[in-house]
This record gives sequence, C-alpha cells and structure tokens, in this order.
Amino acid sequence: MLTLQVNGAAHQVDVPDDMPLLWVLRDVLGLPGTKFGCGIGECGACTVHVDGKAVRACSLPASLVGDRPVTTIEGLAEDEVATEVTKAWLDIDVVQCGYCQPGQIMAAIALLKGNLHPSDDEIDQAMSGNICRCGTYRRIRAAIRNVAGAV
Amino acid sequence: MMRLGRRAAGMAVLAGMVLTCVAARAQDADLARRGAYLEQAADCEVCHTKPGGIPFAGGRAFDLPGIGTIYAPNITPDHETGIGRYTDAQFDAAVRRGVAPGWRHLYPVMPYASYARMTEGDVRAIRAYLMTLRPVHAPAPANQVRFPYNIRLAMIGWNLLYRPSGPLADDPGRSAAWNRGRYLVDAAGHCGECHSPRNMLQALSVTKSYAGAPIDGWLAYNISSDVDSGIGAWSDPQLAAYLSTGHADGRGTAVGPMAEVVSHSLRYLTREDIAAMVTYLRSLPARRSDETVGVVSPETLAQAGPNHSNGGRLFAGACAGCHLTDGYGRQVDFAALWGARSLGEIDGRNLVRTMVEGVTLQSAHGAMIMPAFGPEYRNQDLADIANYAIGHFGNRVGHVTAKDVAATRASVPPS
Repeated sequence: MLTLQVNGAAHQVDVPDDMPLLWVLRDVLGLPGTKFGCGIGECGACTVHVDGKAVRACSLPASLVGDRPVTTIEGLAEDEVATEVTKAWLDIDVVQCGYCQPGQIMAAIALLKGNLHPSDDEIDQAMSGNICRCGTYRRIRAAIRNVAGAV
Repeated sequence: MMRLGRRAAGMAVLAGMVLTCVAARAQDADLARRGAYLEQAADCEVCHTKPGGIPFAGGRAFDLPGIGTIYAPNITPDHETGIGRYTDAQFDAAVRRGVAPGWRHLYPVMPYASYARMTEGDVRAIRAYLMTLRPVHAPAPANQVRFPYNIRLAMIGWNLLYRPSGPLADDPGRSAAWNRGRYLVDAAGHCGECHSPRNMLQALSVTKSYAGAPIDGWLAYNISSDVDSGIGAWSDPQLAAYLSTGHADGRGTAVGPMAEVVSHSLRYLTREDIAAMVTYLRSLPARRSDETVGVVSPETLAQAGPNHSNGGRLFAGACAGCHLTDGYGRQVDFAALWGARSLGEIDGRNLVRTMVEGVTLQSAHGAMIMPAFGPEYRNQDLADIANYAIGHFGNRVGHVTAKDVAATRASVPPS
C-alpha cells in the first residue's frame, strides 16, 4: 500500500511497486488529464510535477515518489502562474490537436516557477523533451515569452 | 502377542524411517535455500542464460578474440543436456577444478579459477539449489574454438599454473567482515574475472589485480583503491549503493555487464554482505591505470549555458528529456549522470556501447530502462552526442569518431 500526495490530497493506493505513476494517476485515481504518449519518457506527454519539478509520469515508478507532492494538470486551477500560462496559450491559439498540450503546459509551468524570465535558450532547453507532432513549438515558445512579460 | 510385538516394532522402524526422511528433506530444503543465495552471490544465472532464454538453460555465447566462441552449457537438472546426472563430486570438480565428467576440461571463461576459492559446502549447496529447478532439455551449441586452443587437455598445464588449489584460509589478522568480503569478491562474486587484466595465457594478472580490463567490447573499470583511476575516492555509502542498486549519486549508474551483475546478483545480497564487500574492496592495493575519474559537480553543470553544437542540440532533443543537463537527471536517481565514469573516458567506449545497446537495470522499483539509439541516428550523430556528453559531464575532450560508432554497432548482437 502506497500513500501518494496528489493535488493536495493524500491517496492510499494498492498497486505494485513498479507501477508507473501515470497508471496510478489515470487508472487508479481517475485523473485522465495527464496523457500517455510513448511510455518510455521520450515524448513528454505524461509530464506532471513532483515536488515542483517536471517529471515523466510514464517512467517513474509510483514507489519512488515517496512523500513528495505530485501535481497534475487538474490540480492547477487556482495556481497563479498556471492561470497566466492558460491565458497566454489561448491568446495566440497555441494548441492544434492538443494531445501533447497537458505535458507542454506542465513543463512550461515548471520552467516559469523556477525562472520567470527565461531566455529563448532556456525555454528551448526546458521544453526540448516535450514533443509536438503538430509542430506548435514556435507558438509554445512565444506563449511562454508572453507569460514572462505578463507576470 | 508376538505378532503384535513384531508389528509394533515394524511400525516403530517405519516411523523412524519417515522421521529420518522428513528430517533429511528439511535439511535438503535448507541446503537448497542456502544454495539459492549462494547462486545469486556467484551469479551463475547471468552467464548460463542466453538473451531472452530460459534461466540456467545455457546457450549464451562468449566470443573470445583470437580463440573462438564458447557457449555456456545448460545447468538445469535435465538428465541429457543439463547437470541432472552429475554427482556432488562431479559438480564440484566442474565448478572448482574446471573438469566436467569424462575429463572434459573446461575453459577459464567459466570462472573456476575464482570458484576454486569457494568452499566445498557452498558449492554443494548451489548444486542442491540447481537440482530444484525445472529440468529443461537444451543442448548447448558446439563450441567453435581454434587450434591450438581446441586441445582441451592443454588446460591441464594452465590449471597447474593458475588454478588455486583450494579455498583461502581466513586471515586471522583481518576482521570477519574483511574475510567475508574477500570470499564474496574474489571467490563467489569472481569480480576479478572482468575487472582484472589478463596475461598472455588468459590468466588474471596478479600485479595489476582489479586495475580494469576490456571485456566483450566493454571496459570493466579499475576497482582498485587508486584515488585517480580506481574507487579510492568513493565513499563507503557510494560503494554500497552502487553495488546493491546499480547507482550511486555522483558515480553514475551501472550499464552493460555490470547492470546484469546488479540485476541478477548483487541486489539480492544482504546489507551485511554488501558492507563486507566494501570493506574488502577498500583494502585492494592501488593500481594506477590510464583512465582517470573526473567528477564535475551539478552546480558547475547547471551553470553551463546551452550548447549549439550538433552534439549539444541532439543531446537536448534526445537525451535531456530524461537526463537533463544539470547532472541530476529528471526524475529517478538512475538517470543522474554526474560523476559517471563512462563520461570521463575520452574514447567513449562504454558510453557509445550504452547508446547503441540501451540499458535494462532491474531494481526494487521495477526495471530502469534506457532505450537504445536506432538507425535513425547516423554514426556521426552518436559520436557528436558522445563527445558533447564527455565534454559537458566529464570536462574532457571526447575523441569518439563515426568509425568507433560503426564498429560498436557491428559488434552488438541483434536483440
């Protein structure tokens, strides 16, 4: 039995030690906002925050999370930076098909929380592990820059 | 009356036999249980299993440059193709003296020169464990060994020169932990078989013991106590963590054959046994070798700006997703690269092999996996990534070429 702190609440889950966090979030806790992409930590669609850091939930065994708080995209409704990011995303219509976007947004928020005024290089570096098949990279970068101006 | 008495006596005898039988079976079970642990310490499984094959059923190929290919035999209790018909004495002769039934001399790719230092009781326990496995009918492919190495009797001379005559007596001047550690490292664990260079006759060098050696396309690192090129600078907790989990913060993660050793053997050893190994490893004489270890701290790594070389850009796209450039990795400790030895090696031998082959390391939290780089990356791309990583994490100038990558790709068996 594991105890996970997800979006501010403690959850007891009875899962195997090697079950990836993503499985627990989606199938056990019913939080489907985090997406499954590649399953091997290469695409970033499953990005969530663990202790504020952007991690790939598909390749993080739930038993390694410990008591560090987990935040999914569902848990950011009240968050100030998240609100600005959402606004910036809508302002310039970043999204095309949308599948990778929860992961993109989580990566962007983690970046901005640590560094409110990232340079383009820093944005590229932080976002490089999040792949978008529609190629929205330029709009993602522009939106992140706009947030930096707004906050 | 007499009949009754006889019957009672008969019952008593029968009961006695049953009890003896039960006691013997309990003893056998104890022996097999002890053997199961010793088998893990001696890591029989990893060599006696072909990739993707049934555990212990053999078939794994060992390519010995200039000598030929030798296949690990089946050690399940199958009567025809395994060790089912071996007696304790025959099994002991094979494991500790390198002589299989019928005076078939084994080649020292079977580490019997190390196992010769194990006790007879421990080897008997390992056989008791192996006899509990499901028998699998699996004949090993015929060895392809070139002349003159194909003359198995030549091994008699080799054995006279290099095979220890028996277990080493405990050194009373050392602690119990040191003696236990020596047993686990030198005898059962046969660490020197990979980590010590070999002489011209394929015997382990005594003067350069544990100074590191190339093996099967990998470099088994120097694990002597030399500060610059061995493990002299590692802390005890780092060594213990690396042995028992395959990762130590500031020392990287085990890959290749060492990942197999951790996955199948070391991670099952008790905390006391790991501590004993650390005690003994600490006492190995320092042997200097060419590959020195350089550690760049995560603070320094975090300050390095983006790198716009081809290798830097490819690293950002293909590797940083998990490894990040700060040395800590994104999420699991296993992805933390700072201090990893493979990134201090300028010819990138283990690094390139790791990229080409990928990594699977079994841990208490499930398998830690790094996917292999496929043909979508050109040889030059992988060389560029390797040289970038060696520069960034190892603070050295990498010398990896597209030709090295091509050679590594050609040498890796298709999975």
